[in-house]
Amino acid sequence: MLALVALAVVFAVLAVLYLLAVINFFSTTTGSPHVKHAAVLGVLAIACLVGASFLRPRVSSSLN
Amino acid sequence: MGLLQGATELFPVSSLGHAVILPALLHWSYRQSDPSFVPFLTLLHLGTAGALLVLYWRDWAGIIRGFFRAALRGRIAAPEERLSMLLLVATVPAGAVGLLLEAPLKQLFATPRAAAAFLVVNGLILLGAEVLRRRSERSGVSRQEQEEQFKVAEQISFRAAAITGAAQALALLPGISRSGVTMTGGLLAGLRHQEAARFSFLLATPVITGAGVLEVPQLFHSAAPLGLYATAAVVAGVAAYLSARFLIRYFRSGRLDPYGWYCLAAGILALLLLR
Repeated sequence: MLALVALAVVFAVLAVLYLLAVINFFSTTTGSPHVKHAAVLGVLAIACLVGASFLRPRVSSSLN
Repeated sequence: MGLLQGATELFPVSSLGHAVILPALLHWSYRQSDPSFVPFLTLLHLGTAGALLVLYWRDWAGIIRGFFRAALRGRIAAPEERLSMLLLVATVPAGAVGLLLEAPLKQLFATPRAAAAFLVVNGLILLGAEVLRRRSERSGVSRQEQEEQFKVAEQISFRAAAITGAAQALALLPGISRSGVTMTGGLLAGLRHQEAARFSFLLATPVITGAGVLEVPQLFHSAAPLGLYATAAVVAGVAAYLSARFLIRYFRSGRLDPYGWYCLAAGILALLLLR
């Protein structure tokens, strides 16, 4: 679960870096914001967070 | 172009392939290498996405609610929650692969012969899917009974959804139909024809909408006739709505074969004419 959260943070940071045009891997232009790359990385970050939510330890709701 | 794209987008015959091949065959004065060509096509796709949202607005309301409920709870408890997660799992590979391969694939947009060749491949995929499907169908019963032995979209496995989503990335190639490959994936995962079409349409909506929202701003930086383009998008939306209604009805008992044969014939004919 923690690995997925860490991965989500990495994806989110990369998304911000693409938006700020700090990095430009896998893109044809340089020096301008890469909105599409940021959007896909944002979706990947959300997917990782959803996955982490599914893997979190369950607390029994039973009072017995 | 709007009518052509809207009418063919949801049919498993590749609207993009047609949009690349037909102008070349009919000598329409549209330069496919023009920087506004892809955003224009994407605008037409947005019209289609709008039609799908109108058609499936109840499903989407349930899917969005289900997504947040399941994501926050960390557990799937209802069919629409499962469907929302299946769509997420199926959408991520297409987005990631699309991003990586977008630039080289855009080069292919300018080559009608490549689109014609991929249209032939698309026909073979559709015909192959039906050959495999027939092997797993019961014989000696009606078509309706044959279909009832298969699943609805909410029941497929996450692995099958991921593979279907990854197959969607093939549709970045002009000539390969998005609905064709996703319906093929759905059929191979054991869905009914009508459910494979529904899953394909639901899967198309976020990708088309996302691509549209991101590509359309490029139009505003070009000298494109925006009013004309917007009209084309509306025409595409109306045509897509009518097409989707027809297809949902057709796939109650219909198969992919006619579309497969059409793609095969149209692709070969285009290859001969574009020599």
